[in-house]
Amino acid sequence: MSARAELKVRIKAQIATFEAAEPVDISVRDQLIEDLATWQATRIPEYGRLRQRGAWPPALPTDVFRFRRIAAHPKEQDLRVFRSSGTTSSERSIHVYSDLELYDAAARAAARHMLFPDAERTRLVILAPHEDEAPDSSLEYMLARFAEWFGTETTWIWRSGALDLELLTDRLREAEQSATPVAVLGTSFAFVHAEDGLGQRRFKLAPGSRVMQTGGYKGRSREVDPDVLLDAIGARYGIPAPRIINEFGATELSSQMYGTTLRDEVDGRSGPRRLWVPPWVRATPVDPDTLQPVAGGEVGILRIDDTANLDSVCCIQTADLAQRLADGIVVLGRAPGATPRGCSLAADQALGGL
Amino acid sequence: MTDDASVVRARAATVKEAAVALRSSRIEGRAHWLANAARALDEAVRRGHRELSDATGLSVAMVDWATRTTLSTVREDALQALVRNARRDIDGTADPLALLSVILAGNVFTASVRGIVVPLLLGVPVLVKASSRDTVFPMMFRAALRSADSRLGASMDLVAFPGSDVECNAALVEVAEAVSVYGSDETVAALTSQVGDTPLIAHGHGVSVAYCGAGASADARFTSTIENLALDICAYDQRGCLSPQLVYVEETSSQTAAAFARRLIDEGLDPTGRTLPRGPLPGSVGAAQAQWRGMAEVEGALLVGDHCSVSIRAPQPIRWSPAYRNVAVCPVRGLDEAVQAMESIGSHLKCVGTDAGSLPEVRARLAESPTLNAYACPLGEMQTPSLDAPADGLPIWHGLFRTSMFGKTR
Repeated sequence: MSARAELKVRIKAQIATFEAAEPVDISVRDQLIEDLATWQATRIPEYGRLRQRGAWPPALPTDVFRFRRIAAHPKEQDLRVFRSSGTTSSERSIHVYSDLELYDAAARAAARHMLFPDAERTRLVILAPHEDEAPDSSLEYMLARFAEWFGTETTWIWRSGALDLELLTDRLREAEQSATPVAVLGTSFAFVHAEDGLGQRRFKLAPGSRVMQTGGYKGRSREVDPDVLLDAIGARYGIPAPRIINEFGATELSSQMYGTTLRDEVDGRSGPRRLWVPPWVRATPVDPDTLQPVAGGEVGILRIDDTANLDSVCCIQTADLAQRLADGIVVLGRAPGATPRGCSLAADQALGGL
Repeated sequence: MTDDASVVRARAATVKEAAVALRSSRIEGRAHWLANAARALDEAVRRGHRELSDATGLSVAMVDWATRTTLSTVREDALQALVRNARRDIDGTADPLALLSVILAGNVFTASVRGIVVPLLLGVPVLVKASSRDTVFPMMFRAALRSADSRLGASMDLVAFPGSDVECNAALVEVAEAVSVYGSDETVAALTSQVGDTPLIAHGHGVSVAYCGAGASADARFTSTIENLALDICAYDQRGCLSPQLVYVEETSSQTAAAFARRLIDEGLDPTGRTLPRGPLPGSVGAAQAQWRGMAEVEGALLVGDHCSVSIRAPQPIRWSPAYRNVAVCPVRGLDEAVQAMESIGSHLKCVGTDAGSLPEVRARLAESPTLNAYACPLGEMQTPSLDAPADGLPIWHGLFRTSMFGKTR
């Protein structure tokens, strides 16, 4: 068995262990991260150039995905190429896959646990383009798989670059009248567009309904404070706050993290709003100078070691600020413009630099 | 402290009225008062440097250094020399403006010194909008001016409001005969759309670079060249327009960029960091730093010191650092290649610091460049421009007199 095949078996085994509701041994995961990093460093020159500081393997900055093809396999073996949306940058992150089996396994296990823990299948209304319209979007790919795995029937509301608000209204009214639970899934900016376009139309979706919202705005709609949007969605669709679930994903990652609210409700727990980290993923706020984990609940920049990233790099350094809680993390965003970066920043932007 | 538009108008009226007395004073007297105010301000900062450190995000030692080096330029002889130079440059009959509104940025707190001292010296009263990040230094400045002379003190006042306050911004523009703005390109662009016919003296964003020729490493003064470069990088935690972001190093058989970078860390940045520590790293800058350092390592090489780093990478394409003592050393074959790289920065380039041996040639090349209006200075002096150093390629008194003057200045 090749080294890659052996690693893949170990990754799948972790996810399968979790799906079987058996405890995942964190030390096994950590050893897998080490072994993945070692193998990837020999296959991916860009990653191999990073020096290890401290006990953990180095983490590759997400920016590198904007400038280099990061892959352990040759280009001709690319099965799928995901690109970030990126209206705020001329260069988009690119994540290539020779195999989507691990992506699918990770996405399915996480969504089943956090987004659909109480419903085998449900009616889906998706405020996003179908993957045929956006074949290079990892989000659209994932939503299409959700339709296969979790949907009874699925309606795609985003058509030819715009939300079809009449279709959305029709589908939600049908669900209301038949008292059929529905899952409304979409990006934050799509929900804002819906808010702006639906006017006085409000819905009272059946118990068991839920909303998944994901992603930032990236200049594609007016920006709305997350708490304000949460309230607006709750009021618009008649869905209680715990059933509005935030999803955190990124083009550079193969796994997703989810808000814990629905899961907490199902498990009869309570706690602050936070993201659940799948046990095959290690999410760690680190100090920006030392890149070592920060102490306790201090704010750091989020490093994500995603073992489902087999064909690229497992250890990823994001530019998000985050804080660790006892059983999850809080992502605080990037706080753009919150600090004085002197003259260079705007000149940087004016000059089209990073 | 947040003021509303009525306060902006009221303070403007008071300051404008006080300027009559200011202008009736002799210019030598104003120079004397301003020099006294600078000394008073220096003392006030020494007493309040912790508060200023908190407000600016710079270490206490850096606050002290920045204040000392900036205020030491405000001497009577320098002020009088500036007046002589201005008189040579302008139409002698031109009148100073009735009121200048000055909008300060928060990245380099001492930038307000030249922005306030020069107008007052030339008889122009000033209404200052402090940066939302730092009102401490402008308040100390106002107190120092008042302590030096009542006419001087009454000719400058402060207002503070969020930059997004359209009504206050409009009032600030409406009361002034010109508006001087320090800030981001976005701030300048926003003001441009609001000022109408009111002249705008824009000090938008910019960057600076350094150049070290082949002779520098062979020079007996090389150690001080490295120390001076490190000081330019560390000053204001590299947050200003005059902070070098890139260092072009002429490679020879005896001077490689890698060896230069090593010495810059070991003999420059690390020792300077011990006497002038970096301030705390804001979260968003920390995130940008991690990305920049990682990219640098992937693309070339990265040397990490104590709260500083040096990347070694080709001069093109430029990848700007997040500042906070992260700098790129770019090997070049000579000044031709360095100037070519600088020209891609265009008018955003403000200053080129250089080793002593290369200074004449760098000056000449900048003067003949059709795309650059940056000036050259010795390393170690990038962050401490003289009082009459040009601003954005124009004399520091540019825009402070009525129309007749505008035609004559460069």
